[in-house]
Amino acid sequence: MNILLHELKAYRKSTIIWTISLIMVVALFMSFYPSFTKDTEEFRKLLEGYPAALREAFGINLDNFFSILGFYCYGLSFVTLCGAIQAMNLGTSIVSKEVREKTADFLLTKPVTRTTVLTNKLLAALISIILTNIVYLAAATLLAYQVATEDFNVSIFILLSLTVLFVQLIFLALGIIISVIVQKIKSVLTVSLATVFAFYFLGMFSSTSGEEAKRYLSPFKYFDTAYIIEKSSYEASFLIIGGIVMILAVGASYFIYAKKDIHSV
Amino acid sequence: MNVIEIKNLTKTYGKARGISDISFSVEEGEIFGFIGPNGAGKSTTIRTLLSLIYPTSGSATIFGKDTVQFAPEIKKEIGYLPSEVFYYDNMKVKDLLNYSASFYKKDCSKRIRELAEIMDLDLNKKIDDLSLGNKKKVGIVQGLLHEPKLIILDEPTSGLDPLMQQKFFELLEEENRKGATILFSSHILTEVQRLCNRVAIIKEGKIVTVEKISTLKENTYKKFKVETKSTLDPNYFNLAGVNKLEVKDNLTSFLFKGNINEVMRKIADIEITNLWIEEPDLEEIFMHYYEKEA
Repeated sequence: MNILLHELKAYRKSTIIWTISLIMVVALFMSFYPSFTKDTEEFRKLLEGYPAALREAFGINLDNFFSILGFYCYGLSFVTLCGAIQAMNLGTSIVSKEVREKTADFLLTKPVTRTTVLTNKLLAALISIILTNIVYLAAATLLAYQVATEDFNVSIFILLSLTVLFVQLIFLALGIIISVIVQKIKSVLTVSLATVFAFYFLGMFSSTSGEEAKRYLSPFKYFDTAYIIEKSSYEASFLIIGGIVMILAVGASYFIYAKKDIHSV
Repeated sequence: MNVIEIKNLTKTYGKARGISDISFSVEEGEIFGFIGPNGAGKSTTIRTLLSLIYPTSGSATIFGKDTVQFAPEIKKEIGYLPSEVFYYDNMKVKDLLNYSASFYKKDCSKRIRELAEIMDLDLNKKIDDLSLGNKKKVGIVQGLLHEPKLIILDEPTSGLDPLMQQKFFELLEEENRKGATILFSSHILTEVQRLCNRVAIIKEGKIVTVEKISTLKENTYKKFKVETKSTLDPNYFNLAGVNKLEVKDNLTSFLFKGNINEVMRKIADIEITNLWIEEPDLEEIFMHYYEKEA
């Protein structure tokens, strides 16, 4: 419990900053919506002029782009990107922070098991992410009501927004396994930005090729917003894959961390 | 009863040297010195005892329990002070110490105040703003606040001024009187000599010898310096056990190991003006072990 509280305190500032950033991104996008709806036809023509592959890469779907939900999806992909960076940062710093700041000696000579240490740190990161999502969801819903010109399905809106959380969880898990495996991470941000953008671009390219199987390569493509809008549900196979990735990464992290030598630096 | 028992402990890191086949034990109530130069394997041994790193082979027990298997349980009664202390920068001294205390199921607030007073440490400062010496004090208080039965110190004095060092040693002696066992690793021999009952000397990952400090001194050379009225014949002290004989005008000096009476008889037979017989300090003994092995 004491470790959890200590970690939460340590994350407080960054959680607040990330939450505000996510809300600002979505606010910026939503503020464009009223002007978009005014010149729907012109925009449609403009976008039709772009190659289909490019539209796919940026997740622009002409069928629903001009509805509030479709428009939100476009902004959401950037929110997800930022969210992924936040989660990856948290995950990567879980163990590496102790090594870099040389506090591992302090913590691991206390009467606690390494499993307890990792569990508490993981919980703290999880709580930070969930809090971020709760505040984000409230803010985004409020914004959507503000700018919407017609009624929209709130439950689909929530389903769409929750994809941020799921992608974050996957990246949190990836971050942890990296931080456990790599002996010493000098800069968390470099590692997390590199990983997140690698997967982001991988996702972009996989969607231009149109092959369904390639979507499994990038967590950013696990949640097809068009599918969610149409069916009001997630695609089960991708949920399962996401779950498996998380369980494997977290499970392996526990295993490795328990056996790992903590060297003095 | 042995508080620490190390049996054939080996730790290798790839090609780099770790420790090999280390065995020694520390008895309850002892202040045990662990000396050797930097890189000899002191920290590796200590980190293995604390299960920060795991042994390649061999084992160690603390309070009769295996250090790997019962690590969390053992650590309830261990206070550890690493050579380099770094703590969560964004915290006040007070907060860090309370965080540290929160791991032990007892009220440590009184002891924290006492220790802070002895070590002259301001509890309300931010750790960020502390000097190296003051950070070290935080480390000391952190290591002792739960009144551990075993105190493990890894080169603890660096960064402390002599006055604080003195207070720190007094504190350790006090803890020892109250029943704490202390494992004190250092490469500074005078502090080991001042504090410890027994020492283990480690060299290149191997234990060279484990001795009582008193025995260590007994079994070694004594330094003789004899001043005479006239220059002595260099062959006069040609006895078994005499080493490094030097005759410089009226001053003859040598090292001697063996029955001291033989030398005394020789000295009694000549007219001397002055005589010095000195114990070698630990430094010289230590160098002796290192040279012998080299």
